[in-house]
This record gives sequence, structure tokens and C-alpha cells, in this order.
Amino acid sequence: MRVMRAEPGRFADVTSRSVGAAWRSYDLQLTTYAALLGAIGLVMAYTNSVEAGQSVLAGGTVFTRALMWSALAMVVFVAVTVFDYHWFKTLAWPIYGINVALLLLTLAIGDGVGGSARWVEIGPFTFQFSELAKILMMIVLATYLGNREGRLDSLPSILGACLLMAPPLLLVMMQPDLGTSLVLASILAGMLFMSGASLRWLLAMAAGVLAAIPLAWTYVLRDYQKDRILSFLNPAADAQGSGWQVIQSQIAVGSGGPFGTGLTNGTQSRGEFLPVQESDFVFAVLAQELGFIGALVVFVLFAALLWRILACAWRSRDPFGTLFGAGLATMVLIQVFVNVGMVIGILPVTGIPLPFITHGGASLVSLAIGLGIVQSVNIRQHRAEW
Amino acid sequence: MNDAYLVPRPERDRRPIRFVAFGLAAILVFGLLTSRLAYLQLSNGPEYAAQAEANRTADVAVPAPRGLIYDRAGRPLVTNIATFAVRITPADLPFSRREDVSRRLGGLLGMEASDIITTLDGAPGSRFDPVRIAQDVPEDVARVVAESSNELPGVKVAVETRREYPDGPLLAHILGYTGPIDGATLGRLADRGYLADDMIGKAGVEATFESALRGTYGLELVERDATGRDVQVLQTTQDSVPGASLTLTIDRTVQKEATAALKWGMKAAGLKRGVFIVMNPQTGEVLALVSLPSYDNNLFAKGISNKDFQALLANKNKPLTNHAVQAHYPPGSTYKLVAGTGALQDRKITAETKIRTKPYLLLGSTRFYDWNRRGFGACNLNCGFGHSSDTYFFQLAGMLGADRLAYWGKIYGFGKPTGIDLPGEAAGIVPSNQWKINALGQPMFAGEVYQSGIGQGYDVVTPIQLVNAFAALANGGKLYRPQLVREIVGPDGTVVQSFKPDLIRKLPVSARTLRSMRLAARSTVVLRHTYNLVDMPVKVAGKSGTAEFGKRDSKGRLPFHSWFVGFVPKNPYKADFAKANSELVFLAFAYDSRTKGNAATEIAKAFLQNHFHIKKDYLNRDLLRRGNFYQSN
Repeated sequence: MRVMRAEPGRFADVTSRSVGAAWRSYDLQLTTYAALLGAIGLVMAYTNSVEAGQSVLAGGTVFTRALMWSALAMVVFVAVTVFDYHWFKTLAWPIYGINVALLLLTLAIGDGVGGSARWVEIGPFTFQFSELAKILMMIVLATYLGNREGRLDSLPSILGACLLMAPPLLLVMMQPDLGTSLVLASILAGMLFMSGASLRWLLAMAAGVLAAIPLAWTYVLRDYQKDRILSFLNPAADAQGSGWQVIQSQIAVGSGGPFGTGLTNGTQSRGEFLPVQESDFVFAVLAQELGFIGALVVFVLFAALLWRILACAWRSRDPFGTLFGAGLATMVLIQVFVNVGMVIGILPVTGIPLPFITHGGASLVSLAIGLGIVQSVNIRQHRAEW
Repeated sequence: MNDAYLVPRPERDRRPIRFVAFGLAAILVFGLLTSRLAYLQLSNGPEYAAQAEANRTADVAVPAPRGLIYDRAGRPLVTNIATFAVRITPADLPFSRREDVSRRLGGLLGMEASDIITTLDGAPGSRFDPVRIAQDVPEDVARVVAESSNELPGVKVAVETRREYPDGPLLAHILGYTGPIDGATLGRLADRGYLADDMIGKAGVEATFESALRGTYGLELVERDATGRDVQVLQTTQDSVPGASLTLTIDRTVQKEATAALKWGMKAAGLKRGVFIVMNPQTGEVLALVSLPSYDNNLFAKGISNKDFQALLANKNKPLTNHAVQAHYPPGSTYKLVAGTGALQDRKITAETKIRTKPYLLLGSTRFYDWNRRGFGACNLNCGFGHSSDTYFFQLAGMLGADRLAYWGKIYGFGKPTGIDLPGEAAGIVPSNQWKINALGQPMFAGEVYQSGIGQGYDVVTPIQLVNAFAALANGGKLYRPQLVREIVGPDGTVVQSFKPDLIRKLPVSARTLRSMRLAARSTVVLRHTYNLVDMPVKVAGKSGTAEFGKRDSKGRLPFHSWFVGFVPKNPYKADFAKANSELVFLAFAYDSRTKGNAATEIAKAFLQNHFHIKKDYLNRDLLRRGNFYQSN
């Protein structure tokens, strides 16, 4: 098996190599930008937890849970950085199996709003395995495509990648979670594009997807999903119903003005005009309370983060690193675009989290794993010179 | 193989162009997001800030206490009492839970779940306006509902005031009731501050004097969250002004006397509908206005159940209709007032002109019979009116002709609503040639003119029109608008509007003519056409009437109504009818009486006995026996 080529010889090697990793290649900027974004996420969790007569540190508030998940994410990030990423390549197939199994488990025992099955309760916490699935699929695809380097512009490579992605994507769609399946598809497209796959085939595929939209409208989309798209196209048609979120979030964003109303002063969120303000619509609160300047800072941090991820991907001598970086960058970019686009009313409402800032443990931990892998690749590039 | 990864890898064939493309895509995305954000926050920021403010605050109406209603002696006829109401805000009740919540709530309130759903679906406001489901909920039930908010999403308990009518059916047709505003009315009145769950006067003076009674709602600026919960009152924008109070012309005591008399007569004769009206002819003030059957207006004030409402609608005696005002009937011989006045004033006859009354008049081959198949011989006005001779009045009608007869009918106020302060007044019909051409395409036949002269043609009148016409006779020719309200008193005690007689017209009739007609009306009593009415200590003039209607029975007989309209002089014990100083005119109407005698006259006597506290009993119970006897007119 081709995968075996990259396998470390003995288990003991892992520790020695990680200890011996080239820490000067560690991308401190990348970590800094991520940490700053995470800090903004904590600030938003704080402002969303402020409620009259209640301590934000009381158990169970959004803020305390965010603190806990952030701590866990930091631990995970450090652990994954130290861990030799080659093991991920080795274990790609088991990882794929575990991924599919977790998604099947979610469908079987998961909970969600209105009969959906999106998250699984583990003790006092809930976890959305579809978030993890994004990172795991990046590992699997990076391994698969990396092993096919040199033959990437062939159709079988593209089809193989699509076939690999199909089961998890369908499982997520069945939850039903259209947003996450959209992100999964984007990750696939981004990685194929960055891998150097034939543009001709990619365009042909894109055309095929476009052609399938009418079919999807008829057979795949649920009524509430159609409502969201229709109310995005014309929010005023049902201003009190499904257009409510679209209108209210734009009011929130617009009323922030250049400098914002100040933290915890957002009337739109205080009055609970914004549904799911701590999750999918957190950016609306951010834009109202921190204003245009605050939002711009967030954009700059995201742009800087993407730049660092792409730089790491570029530097990687291992195609796995390049491809994984491409997948991670695609994921961050598409999620920022779709989430913020939804909040400011240029895209329909989908349940896609804003990386780092949307409160949600699975999203944060998955990002920590992804960034950890990027750093792990970074510090293991120059091993040969060492 | 094992050490393959240790060998430095050759530079990989990367695709810089794809990285650049990705970078460009990222720049495009952030550029797009930033420009949209700038548009929302920088260009339109102030506008959205205003919207956010509007989101947060709301102008909330503060209902004003509704004005009270008193009778002419200052007795309260209605009170406002605080009750618990249960409301549902449709937006807060998930559609999937409607059935379940309606069933649960219905169980608590003792209502049908389907009624709750119907009320919700029929509510006029938006999904965010609370819909009143039940009023007058007992306190313990209200407590349970309020505490079950988890099982009953969107259901709230509110304290509101409702009307309580202590006398219920006694005054229901006068006072009317308040009820929830309907969608069409709300659409019309929303800009005057009516709310989707508002109460509005729906019948009686509650409806006609709605704007005075309602007062002016106040306005508070309230901070709200998205669920519509009021967080705090920011300021009172406008104080509410309580509604004005009404003092009615109605005398509750007289109303009771009239009701008791009518109930007695209807029970004795087995009648289903009746009307009794008492007025002061000098002013047009209505002292009593009774229409039976009545209904309990408290049912409506408490929020009538669909079942009770359907039962009232289905009752074929129409308890919700004010038969004194909202229905019209053939007047029968009481209408001879019109032909008599007209013939005198048009100088066709004088009071002393003798006209030969016959058993019947022949018109072509049709015989027009007198009620008395022998006739009364040569008759002057007192004889003709007093005995109610049909052939006498056939001839007067013939002298006048259709249009002149119609003219005098209209002069007395027939054919047009009187303008009494009650909604839904009927107009009645006064047939003229033009009327018949419009209605039936040809002019009046001579026989129809005859019939019209005795109130048995196409003519129909409302009881209030008829009593008002006799009031004009009794007061010397002034046709007043019947009024129900003496005073409107503002919340601070100042009189907003005080009573003024409202003259419709001065009749173009000489005092002499009216005097002759009053004396003729007295002769009705004196000639014992009304049996022992003349024996009563109270002196009465008036006219009885028997009006056939409907379909003939197997023996060719028609069912008939009985009327009696009368008045007493200022000094009721002195029979001075030459003067026009009467302060009491009254009307009794017995629908579908079919009694041996004139049931209305007996009812009128019963009222006089009640009203003047006459100890001796003059009532002829024998005349109230049913049997479709075709008795005197």
C-alpha cells in the first residue's frame, strides 16, 4: 500500500522526532492570529452572557462553556502540534472509518431542532461530529491525493476523491445539515483545485452540480430550507416569519455604525431580537457592539490567518501538508464568507459557524486540530537537514 | 522503504497560479463583505439605528375606563368590573402545538377546543397581537392558567375591565352591550386608536354613543424585547381620559312597569313577541322602551359562547332584534290617524261631516267590508274614528287619493327612521303611486288606497314611528326625534351635552284639526270601543288597531297583531283633550295576538294600573283568550 511509504518505523521514533522537530519553523504568526480570533470569540461569548442579575461566571453560561472549550482547544492544539502528522497519513483509512461511524452514530442517537439529528450528548456536553468530519476528511483527502501526486490531473483521481467524500457528505445531508455538507463539498473542491487537478474536469463537475440544483430543490431540500432561501431573496415577504432573522440581523449590523454601541450594549441582542445570537448570528452582535472598525479587525485577522495557512501550505515539501493547508484555508474562507454573508444579508440563512467566534466546542476543537496539523507539518519540514 | 522519508524530497511541482487564484478569491470575498458592511454600517447606519430603536420600544395604548350609564333618576344601569381574561399571542404559539394547547386550555376554561381555534383564526390583528380567548375567567382558573405557562406557550392572563349590566334583559335592547371588535370595524377605526383586542359598543346606546363612552386611550412608550415582553415603561406619552357618562331619558321604574304589563299580557294570551313604549310627547324623551323577548346582555359582556349565540340567532322570535325600532309591522286602524288628519286638513270633511257608513263598499265587483258587517249609519269623525269604521275611512282615503294619503303619512314621520339613538332602525313603508311604480311597476289601485286608509295596505310602520306620530298629535303638532339620552357628563363632572328637544318638523296641520283628532281619539275610549278603559280613573285617548298579516288559515282567517296607542292629559284624572298638554304617550303592540279582544289594549290598561298605582283591577282576562276571533278594529 502506497500509504505505507510514509509510515514511521517504530513507535519510539515518534517521540524522538517530535522532540527533535524544527521548532524554529514553527509559525508563531499563525498561532497568534488564531489566538486573537479565539479571544474575540471569548469576548463575544462574554457579551452574550451578560444578563441582568446573573454572573457571567455562573455555571452553564455561554461564557463559562466557551472558557472551558477554549482551554480544551489549546490543549488539543499543542498535543496535535507535538504529534507527528505522518501518523495521520498512516492512519488515514481507520480515521475515515471512524469518521463515517461517528456520523452514523449521530444519525442514530443525535438530537437537534425539529426532528433533526445534529449533535450527540456526551455527559453534560454536546458535540457536533460533522464539525470534526471536516478536519478528518481533510486528512483523508490530503493523504489520498498526496499519494497520487503526479497523476492529479487525471479523471480517476478526481473521481476517487469525490467517491471518498460522498458517504460523509450524504450522511451530513441526512441529518439534515445542508450548511455543513456545503462546506464539505467546498473543502473537496478547494483541495482538488489546489492539488492541481485538471481545470477542465473541475469545471465539468461544477457544471454538473449547477445542473443538479433544480433536482435538489425538488427532491432534497426540506421546506424550511426552501423558506430560508426564498426569504433571503425577499425578506420583506414574510418579515415576521422566516424573513425575521434576515431583517433583524441587518438592523443589528447597520445600527452598529462605524464604532458600535459598545460591548454588552447591543439592543438587538439584549432584546433577543436576534435568534441564535451566540451561535450562527454572533457576527451580527459583534457588528452592532464593535461597529465597522471591530468587524474590519476581525476580517483582517481572518485574512492574515488565511495568508499564514497558505504560506505554510506553500512551504510544505510533503504534498500532504500542501493539500491539508489548502483544505483548511478553504474551510475557513468559505465559512467566513457564508456566515458573514448570511448575517449581512447577501447569502441565505444556513447554519454554518463563524470560525473561532461562533460559540461551539466542536468547531473550536476541530479548528485546533487543523491548525495543530499545519504547525506539525511546519516543524517537520527540515528534519532532513537537521 | 522504511527510510524513504528521511531522504530530502525533491522540490515539488507546485502550482503558484492556483495559490494566487485562491488568494485573489479570498481578497474578493473580504472585499465584498467589507463593502456590504460599509454600506450597512457607514452609509445606512443612522437609519438602521433608528430601526433598532423602533424595535426596542413600542407605543402601548393604555385603555381608558369606559363611561357609565344612568337612568333619568341617576340609578346606575351599568358598572365596570375587573375580570381576568385569557389571551393567546399566535406568534408565540407554535403551529404544531395549537391543537394540544387548545385542548388543554379548553379543558381549564370549560370551552370547546374548536372554539379556541376558530377565535384564533378569526382574530383581526397580526400574529403578534394577543387574541382574547375568554373573558370573565374565575380567579382560581386564571391562576392555574397563569402558572401553566410552560404547557401553554403563548397563553397569557390579563386583568381587564368588562361591563356588567345589573338589570340584564330589562334594558338589554336599550343599553346593548360591548364586545370584541371585529376585523372590518378595526380596519375602519384603527387610526382612531382602536386595538386589535379592543372592546367596542355593539348594540344599543353602547354602540351609538361609543365615542363618548370610550374616552381617550393613553399612550405609554414601553421598552420591549423580541418576545413582546414589556421590560419597562419609559414614559407616559399621553394620559388616558376616562369616557363620559350617559344619563338616559329612560326611567328604570317605568321600564319595569311597562315590562311587567307586557309580560303579563303576553303570558295571559300566550304571545311570543310584544312591544311597549312610553314617551313624553312634550320633549320626545323615551321613558320606557320594551321589546320582548329580550336577552341577557351580560352574556355578551362576558364573552358569549358560540353555542349560546347560535341559540339566540336561531330563536324564531328574534330576541336580539329590538322590535320597537328594528322591525316594522302593518299598523292597522291606528293608521286612521293619518287619513283623518289629512281629510280634515285638506278640507275634504269637517269633524261634523256625516258620512254614511255601510256594511261594505263596492269597487267594481269587489266588496270592501267594514269590520262591523252592519255599518254604523251616518257617522261624523268622532263616530267614524271612535267606532273605527272601516268604510268611513275607505271613503276618506278615497277622497284623499294615494299620494295625498302618503303625504300625510310622511308628515307624521312614517316611511323614514325617526332617528332615535339606537342602531339599525327600520324605515317602514308609506305607499304612494311613485312608490308602487318603483316597487311593482304600476300605480296604486283604488282598492289599495282604501286598504292604505285603514293601515292594511302596503303600509308598514315601526312601533317607535307610530308612538311618535301620536306624540305629535298629543303635543299639538310637533314631531320630535325620540331621544334616549338626557345628558352626557364628562369624567370631571361637567355636562358635555344636555338635553334639548330635537324637532323634526312642525306638522303643517292647524291646531283645530289636531284638536278634532284628539277628541276623536278620546271618543274611541268613550264609545267603549275599548270596553272598560273609559271606566279607569286615568283619562285616556287613543286608537286601537288590529292588523292582519301573513297567510289565511283553513277557514280563510288571517292571523293578526293588536295595537293600542294612547295618551293621557297633563292632569291624568281630568279628561281635557282639547288641550295639547299630554306628558305621557304610550304604545302597546302584541305580535300575532289572535285573541278574542284587543290584547294590546289590555296590556296598556295593565301598564296604566302599574304606573298610576290603580288598586282596582280593570283587566278583562276573557278578552285575552286565544282563538283567532276577528274582533273589532
